[in-house]
Amino acid sequence: MSANIRPSGVFDTSYAQDISINRTWWDKLSGYLLFGLLLAIPFLLESTFLGDIVSPSWITTITKIAIFAIAAQGLNILMGYTGQISLGQAAFMAAGAYSSAVFVRELGFTFWTALPAAALFTGFIGLIFGLPSLRVKGFYLAMATLAAQNIIIWMIRYPLDNFTNGVNPLPLENFKPVFFGQTVNHNGMYFIIITLAVLLFLVARNIARTRTGRAFISVRDNDLAAELLGINVFAYKLQAFFISSLYAGIAGTLLAFHTQTILTTQFEFLVSIELLAMLVIGGAGYPLGPLFGAAFVLILNQQVIPNIQPAVGDLVSSVLTFIPKENVVTATKPILFGLILALFLILEPRGLAYRWEILKISWKIRPYSY
Amino acid sequence: MATNVSTQKTRFSLQNLNWQQIWKWTLMGLAVIFLMWLGARIDENPRGFLQATVSGVLVGGIYSLVAVGIVMINKASGIFNFAHGAMMLVSAFIFFSFYTTQNYSMVAVILLAGVTSLLFVAMNNWRDILIPRNALIALLMTGVLVVLMTLPRDDLRLIRALVGGTTGAVLIGLMIERFSIRPLMGQPIFTMILMTLALDSLFKGVSQMLWGSIDQKLTIFSGLQATLNIPATIRIDTSAIIESRISTINIQTDTVLAFILSVAAYVAFALFFQYTNIGLAMRATSENQRLAQSVGLRVRAILAAAWAIAALLALTAGVLYGAGNGIGKNMPDLAIRAFPAVLLGGLESIGGAMIGGIVIGLAQTWADSLFGSDAGTQLAPYVILMIVLIVRPDGLFGQKRIERI
Repeated sequence: MSANIRPSGVFDTSYAQDISINRTWWDKLSGYLLFGLLLAIPFLLESTFLGDIVSPSWITTITKIAIFAIAAQGLNILMGYTGQISLGQAAFMAAGAYSSAVFVRELGFTFWTALPAAALFTGFIGLIFGLPSLRVKGFYLAMATLAAQNIIIWMIRYPLDNFTNGVNPLPLENFKPVFFGQTVNHNGMYFIIITLAVLLFLVARNIARTRTGRAFISVRDNDLAAELLGINVFAYKLQAFFISSLYAGIAGTLLAFHTQTILTTQFEFLVSIELLAMLVIGGAGYPLGPLFGAAFVLILNQQVIPNIQPAVGDLVSSVLTFIPKENVVTATKPILFGLILALFLILEPRGLAYRWEILKISWKIRPYSY
Repeated sequence: MATNVSTQKTRFSLQNLNWQQIWKWTLMGLAVIFLMWLGARIDENPRGFLQATVSGVLVGGIYSLVAVGIVMINKASGIFNFAHGAMMLVSAFIFFSFYTTQNYSMVAVILLAGVTSLLFVAMNNWRDILIPRNALIALLMTGVLVVLMTLPRDDLRLIRALVGGTTGAVLIGLMIERFSIRPLMGQPIFTMILMTLALDSLFKGVSQMLWGSIDQKLTIFSGLQATLNIPATIRIDTSAIIESRISTINIQTDTVLAFILSVAAYVAFALFFQYTNIGLAMRATSENQRLAQSVGLRVRAILAAAWAIAALLALTAGVLYGAGNGIGKNMPDLAIRAFPAVLLGGLESIGGAMIGGIVIGLAQTWADSLFGSDAGTQLAPYVILMIVLIVRPDGLFGQKRIERI
């Protein structure tokens, strides 16, 4: 998938080298350094001069980016690699969040047991809603996942409201995770979430290199040809649905324990669209695409838009005097979101990850460009 | 020579099971249980059931109109338009503005009329504006539209609103086609779906910016009700059919008029599609774009016209729904719920859209009366959607798809 252009004369001499994730020691080292830097951010903000420049809300933003990047990575496996459209990823996140909350509140699980249990549970729900993929594909499958989105949220809201509090918020404050005898507070969740996100990204990258991953890609590129090659298309589609929902379930659980109250409005159809937008903006089918997309969308939503809203409101209502300022303020987010998504689709359909590959290549082969 | 045809053992696997049959019988069993439960509930409250049936059919008319708009776009260009609800919202709000106020700015009106005329004559290609005849047509059109939209008298406000709303809707349709769909020609379906979702968000934002986020009540039928001398709510005594303590069912006159008008609009559209030259050209284009081009049809102009007509259908549906229920953010949700209606009727079938719409409307209100809140509205269309997808993905009247490598 990724364009692996190298400077002339650099060859692979063994199979291990050909399939390796990190081609050079510098790749490996920079990976570890970046991971260390990410974990050190809270300390840096607390103890150094950076704390005066950067506002502490960035910690929340980075945590959210990690959570949504996990969910978008699940979507990437389903859509980017296997080519099955899903409009219901947010509902699978909801299933993960609420099932983990119920496990912890009603069945006495701890965070560490509820996380895999909720992930597996969500995976099986994903399997159920993946079953129509036996008969339908493309747009029809998108409609099936749209039904999944609405049915899951409905189930949480109405028939299960004894466990899930229905439309009211479900508190989780008293059920913080315990790590080696220490209760992890809100700030501590940052480390758990970042570590898990990095691990899950590595897993996703490894899935793409295995037999399963290659089967996924062949199903995406041409499902009939894949079937002729002896690939069990239906089984692999179901596997993709399972893995995708697993990721969504983990993301939902982490979101539940990060915000410590859950509401069904956190997982509505709009969030599914945002996850799709993250995938398109980041680049579907690239291992790092979801990260770029989640970072782009969430930084825009949480850091940029709240800061520019008043200025935009003043500007628009002074130019077009018949528009009240508060209308502009509420409308900034949907308008910007729609515009940016549309522009990305027209101008950069392969996303930021593709641009990043191009940048890397041009850096490697500098000063000569091909 | 002995033939060994049947010596091969069949292995047990997921694919050897006849999933289609299993699903079918499971669903039929569930349906029977559901019907028994439904019967028990109807016995408890027969009046509620009758009321739900009537209002379900009335809502179904609007659903059919929305579904026809979606089918229209799909037939012409193969795109599934998730932005239909937002198109309804914005064009109904434009209609609302022209209907309620008179002190709108002249610049906005001239811009609206001018850009629409420009896009109208340049439907196929921007260069068409340079032809003197087309430029003249655009100028004349702008003039006529501006005059009609700024009619001074208050009793002519319906004409004003009709012209203004039509212009706005056509502008929306042509702009969508020109600036977002045409650059994406030949892209995969996923890109198109996402583009319409992006447009949905954009239009919702625009409507929030220009008209705020409060629901607006549109009262176009009040004058008609006064002249025809019918009450706002029709009460029908049904004690002859059912035995119950309260036996009157209430029907809002607004929704009845909206239903009649939407059926009329639906019939007009179906006739247009069947019997006019443009309708024929559209059907040809949807059948095979290259072939249509080779016999001299201007395919790009036809696609643009298809979007404009879909926007007009959205305007009609928006205004008629807004007359009964108010213009607001429930409209995009309505359009999403019309997708099950489209799939039930079949993606290519205009007649199917009508039946699908009414079935969805009925299912929704029945479910509402069962659950006693609007919980049914949120569930029933999607349950029907799942059933359709599993049992008959092509819908009741859709074409069978044949997949080739």
